[in-house]
Amino acid sequence: MESNKKYWKGLEEFNKTSDFVENNKNEFAEPLPIEDVLNEAGLSTVTPRRDFLKALGFGLGAVTLAACQPAPIHKSIPYLVKPEEVIPGIPNYYVSSYNGQSVLVKTREGRPIKIEPNPNAGLFNCGTDAQAQASVLDLYDVSKLKAPVLKNDETTWTKVDAFVTAELAKAKASGKKIRIVSSSVYSPSTKSVVADFTAAYPSTKHIQYDAVSYTGIIKANENSFGKAVVPKYNFDKADLIVSFAADFLGTWISGEEFTAQYVSNRNNKSLAKGKMSRHFQFEAGMSLTGTNADTRVPIKLSEQGPALITLYNAITGGNLAGGSLPKNATAEKALKLVAKELTQQKGKALVVCGSNDVSTQILVNAINSAIGSYGTTIDLDNPNKRYAGNDAEFAEFLNEMNRGEVAAVFFLDSNPAYDVTNVKSFTDGLSKVPLKVSFSDRKDETSTLCDVIAINQNYLESWGDANSYEGSYSIIQPTINPVFNSRQAEQSLLIWSNAPVKDYYQYVRNNWEKNILPALGKNWNELLQTGVFASAPKAAGSYSFKLSLDAVAPSVLKSSAALAKDIELQVYESIAMRDGSHANNAFLQELPDPVSKVTWDNYIALAPKFAESQGLKEFDVVDVKGSNGYTISLPVLIQPGQAVGTASIALGYGRAKAGKAGDNVGKNAYPFASFSNGTLQYATTITISKTGSTYELAQTQTHHSFEGRNIIREASFKEYVKNPFAGTGKHEEGHKTYDLWDKYEKPGNNWVMAIDLNACTGCGSCIVACNVENNIPVVGRDEVRRRREMHWIRIDRYYSFEEGDKSVSEEKEIAHLENLDRVTVVHQPMLCQHCDHAPCETVCPVLATTHSSDGLNHMAYNRCVGTRYCANNCPYKVRRFNWFNYWNDSRFDNYLNNEFTQLVLNPDVTTRSRGVMEKCSMCIQRIQAGKLTAKMEKRPLKDGDIKMACQQACSANAIIFGDGNDPESEVSKALRSERVYYVLEEINTQPGVGYMTKIRNTDSLPTVQA
Amino acid sequence: MRNISLIIRRVWKSAFMFTALSVLIVSGTQAQDPVEGRKIFKEKCTSCHALDRDLIGPALQKIVPTKSEAFLLRWINNAPAFIASGDKEAVEASKFNPNADMTAFPSLTPEQIKSILAYVKVGEPKKAEVAGAAKGSDEVSNFSIVGVIAVILISIIVLVILARAIKMLERLILKKQGVEIEEDEEKASMVAGIGQLFKNKKFVFFVILCLVISLGSFGWMGMWNTGVATGYQPTQPIKFSHELHAGVNQIDCQYCHAGAFESKNATIPSLNVCMNCHKQVQARDSHDGNISPEIQKIYNALGYDADKMTYDKSKEKPIEWVRVHNLQDFAYFNHSQHVVVAADAIRKEKGLKPNEPVCFACHGPVNTMEEIYQYSPLTMKWCINCHKDTKLEVKDNAFYTKIIEAHEKIKKGEKITPAALGGIECGKCHY
Repeated sequence: MESNKKYWKGLEEFNKTSDFVENNKNEFAEPLPIEDVLNEAGLSTVTPRRDFLKALGFGLGAVTLAACQPAPIHKSIPYLVKPEEVIPGIPNYYVSSYNGQSVLVKTREGRPIKIEPNPNAGLFNCGTDAQAQASVLDLYDVSKLKAPVLKNDETTWTKVDAFVTAELAKAKASGKKIRIVSSSVYSPSTKSVVADFTAAYPSTKHIQYDAVSYTGIIKANENSFGKAVVPKYNFDKADLIVSFAADFLGTWISGEEFTAQYVSNRNNKSLAKGKMSRHFQFEAGMSLTGTNADTRVPIKLSEQGPALITLYNAITGGNLAGGSLPKNATAEKALKLVAKELTQQKGKALVVCGSNDVSTQILVNAINSAIGSYGTTIDLDNPNKRYAGNDAEFAEFLNEMNRGEVAAVFFLDSNPAYDVTNVKSFTDGLSKVPLKVSFSDRKDETSTLCDVIAINQNYLESWGDANSYEGSYSIIQPTINPVFNSRQAEQSLLIWSNAPVKDYYQYVRNNWEKNILPALGKNWNELLQTGVFASAPKAAGSYSFKLSLDAVAPSVLKSSAALAKDIELQVYESIAMRDGSHANNAFLQELPDPVSKVTWDNYIALAPKFAESQGLKEFDVVDVKGSNGYTISLPVLIQPGQAVGTASIALGYGRAKAGKAGDNVGKNAYPFASFSNGTLQYATTITISKTGSTYELAQTQTHHSFEGRNIIREASFKEYVKNPFAGTGKHEEGHKTYDLWDKYEKPGNNWVMAIDLNACTGCGSCIVACNVENNIPVVGRDEVRRRREMHWIRIDRYYSFEEGDKSVSEEKEIAHLENLDRVTVVHQPMLCQHCDHAPCETVCPVLATTHSSDGLNHMAYNRCVGTRYCANNCPYKVRRFNWFNYWNDSRFDNYLNNEFTQLVLNPDVTTRSRGVMEKCSMCIQRIQAGKLTAKMEKRPLKDGDIKMACQQACSANAIIFGDGNDPESEVSKALRSERVYYVLEEINTQPGVGYMTKIRNTDSLPTVQA
Repeated sequence: MRNISLIIRRVWKSAFMFTALSVLIVSGTQAQDPVEGRKIFKEKCTSCHALDRDLIGPALQKIVPTKSEAFLLRWINNAPAFIASGDKEAVEASKFNPNADMTAFPSLTPEQIKSILAYVKVGEPKKAEVAGAAKGSDEVSNFSIVGVIAVILISIIVLVILARAIKMLERLILKKQGVEIEEDEEKASMVAGIGQLFKNKKFVFFVILCLVISLGSFGWMGMWNTGVATGYQPTQPIKFSHELHAGVNQIDCQYCHAGAFESKNATIPSLNVCMNCHKQVQARDSHDGNISPEIQKIYNALGYDADKMTYDKSKEKPIEWVRVHNLQDFAYFNHSQHVVVAADAIRKEKGLKPNEPVCFACHGPVNTMEEIYQYSPLTMKWCINCHKDTKLEVKDNAFYTKIIEAHEKIKKGEKITPAALGGIECGKCHY
């Protein structure tokens, strides 16, 4: 049974705006100026024959002269003494870790060029997120300082050390407070360094705070169970997941790990076993997790508290006051259903909440205890160590500074001048501190206010370690010598505290050999090889919630009620920018938001009908005024699925001093957050007023049109169980097909790919991985607006709408929809399909794109003359044209236009020149390298020898690549699945990339008979 | 021209070597043969000893005359045992370098040791001769150029004279037949004739056609060869001779270009590889006892002081070689693929002798190149032709088993070349 549900790329298509219709006709945003030439003036323009000949003669002469230069001399400079392990042309891999993810760093001739997940990582055996993939670019950031700074001048370390130790001596003598302010530290060695420093200067206190805080969860667990920790969540053990605004597949606590766990119950393997978890999401703004939910119910921020109480009452039969949602019947109905299912799934369910409010989290603990989550889906005995921030301590630190009690302050991995809620209180206080030291690597918002910038090293230049979970450790080891005259922050602290061991490498090693390795029974060299050690996890104890909720529920209701006025605003971490600390990373800036597909900006997201009622259109610039008076102007983005009466603004934008790429991109939303009830709250109320101007956001989604063809195939889990072919459009008797083209023989390998739409969450880390691997240029906001982004793989997001129990199948029905709340989203990674009957190949006049005997569609850049016929003829719209020499053009100054940043380029992939077409090559450099290794070792190629960059990065294993001629390969098995369909297979392009239908675990997917 | 002068230079060099050696042989009338001694010395002793200066061991020309022959025979034959026996003189001698004992050479016969001692006494052939010979070879190459020009000039003169003579004779014959010829008239008629000729349309057409064809084909050839740098031989910062290292000394290509067998880059050796030999080999013999200026360049780059045998890191300065083989950025080439995986096939295709390394297939006779130059055109046509013609030799390579099987099913009996397995598809080299 085929669904004829309609999918829309966005509201532009949905509403058929005139711009969209106009743009849709053309392959490229700006048509050729043919009409200018053909209009009357153009035709009557006379170029005198003499002028023509003059120009011709001059051109010929100039070209000849230019060509007369002697051939350029290329120098070849060998090592003086070659390091034994380096062979030019062969990559070396080193284990390290980034943000708690264990990674392999690929280096070529001593420079790190790519981050890959560590296959030995065990517990953390998942992919890497977009930040980790992009982090290699941070190393080659030209905006970094090249030497330490003392009182605004670059200086030497000796002078810095002399100054700081003298000032510290004064501080110690005065007996005043010394503060080390950092984001959460989960490195055992760094903690030990801080302890040593504290021993040398006893008035020191280490204050940890996170720009996006989890203090609420920590305090709640301390209150409920006496354990001040962020627990370990096991989404893989949960058959039913209920999330209240927790974006656990994206930014919440540990997105990549949760993605791997979550998908393990929903991917093809799990479905083949007839098992699929169920996921409800209640939230205001449309999050990545919300787009993946089986059922997503929009609720206002002020309704979250009452919703939780309703759920609690329904599960436990309790009768806490306030447990009703009078204005949201849908949500109330859904909550009843959820409560029923939760009680049925005891011990196999999990409720999470994204709130940072202690009372709210206590309520969630009570619910989880009631459904038996502790010991199964929540593990309090092997807690997550990555977040230890304490908002109250930081707030007290601000008071201490303002009272003039602080003599010295050190900022490590923190930038309060940017991300505190009350910047003025911070800067006023800071000006009263005699010694201010920042370990930032650049002149950022905080470090410019400091006396000393003791520039820290990038993690790729550093020694270090991480303890992400109880009993599980990973190492950070340097992969390149420090590029600038930088010094690790820990080493600086050791020197200033005059510790006996001042070399940080020795310090880390001593710490491991003394405190960590003996317990694990391993040695240092093994550690440097594997990167990760974990002791056997403790048995997860079962905890039950015994406290009274009498005080908790009113507190929850009170903070909810406070939000019920004007427009309710939530500020959230965006998938690309997160907390904004990597704002100068151009890869991340150009990574489209998974839902809105906006790059290079933040915006205020409003629901379509709500915006209409406010008289606002998309891209209208509005002044957003918070309840605390903070005002910024932002463009409006119409976001289907946003709860009516609410707005969302992403954090991490509006950096004033991030560097060339990140300065003044978007607006800073941190000041909308507030400190109340002992923690930071990310919800507030705002009023908005129209400014009258408009601002076009650089969105990627609507850039390519499929002309309404049926490219998403979807089925409900019930239908799938009944008939695994559900939704694929396959019929029992095959169609008779006719080919215009000859069949391609693929005698050796046949490289194909399978993409599981049920595993793909749309997070976008594959996009960044592909960018880094294939030297894909960053084009900047203006070029994205002109539809000229270069990404070889994109993730298309499709909306579909429901009304009652019917999905909308006719465009004209849209106008009658009450609101556009009931939206479902499908993410579809789209890349070159390597068609056997490729439409692009047929139209290339110079045979620059041809078919290979192993099933790939080759693209020879040096042969391409740039007619762009291929892009025009590609039904998948995956071909990208180089409009500029992005790596050598001053207009694209935020990325590769300097020799230093160019060190990040992959030497095995050509940088493309202006005027040529490019597209996904199926990482042909990796295929060739994998084949060569096998040839050299005289063995057959094994399945899994070759991995695509996108496939490697994917935590969800949504992308499988391999040899279709090998019936035993993973990809062949995957492509034999009943769920497989090929996009636009009806036009007989015979793609090499197969997709598996999206399955939703809803009761039934409403369909309309054709 | 380079080839000719190379050949001549080589002929001269070998002739000189032959004479020098025969002089040595003739002068070696004693029972001990300094020529034989030199050979053994070069084989066994040079890593620790030089004739005229201290290395790891003492300068032999200074120390040998102070010792008795009997002592030396015993010492060289088995020094460790000699020292262990407690002989006073031997113990004293062992103190020259407390860090290194003299190696034992039990395989050397007393005659051979005597030969070495004889060579130590006689020393190297005199430098003057070497210098003279070198000068001579330069003159020869200049002479050869001048000679060729002279021969051409002389033949032109002879031709002109012959032409004059023929004309005179013709005129005499005409005179005899009674035909009167006026010199002036003849000149006028010639000018007129040329004028007439240019009025002849057929002639003009013919001349223009010739011009077009010659210029066209010249231009065509020129265009085809644009960017083709066969024979490119840039001046290198060090006059490194592949002829000496790969040819005379028979050092394997891999010793320096190890990357070729593992990586896409053949790699230019780092200087520590040079120093493996050149810490000892300083070619002082041919430079009046000084270190060869070319070898000194290695030392300078490393900040190495040859007398103190110490390195100074602050003086390090990498050597900037000039790249000879410049493949475009957009073409991927992997050395290991060709010299490891495809070695047998390439050897067969290019007809290399068993003693020639596979590298010669593309790099030419490197062992005869005084300075390296680009031997092959490195054009795509050149690559593709080889991929089309070479028959794969992959019997013992399990990688190919399945692929060949599959291929055989489709194109039974056809020659299996890289091209047949997709080796000339664009994306295999351009990505």
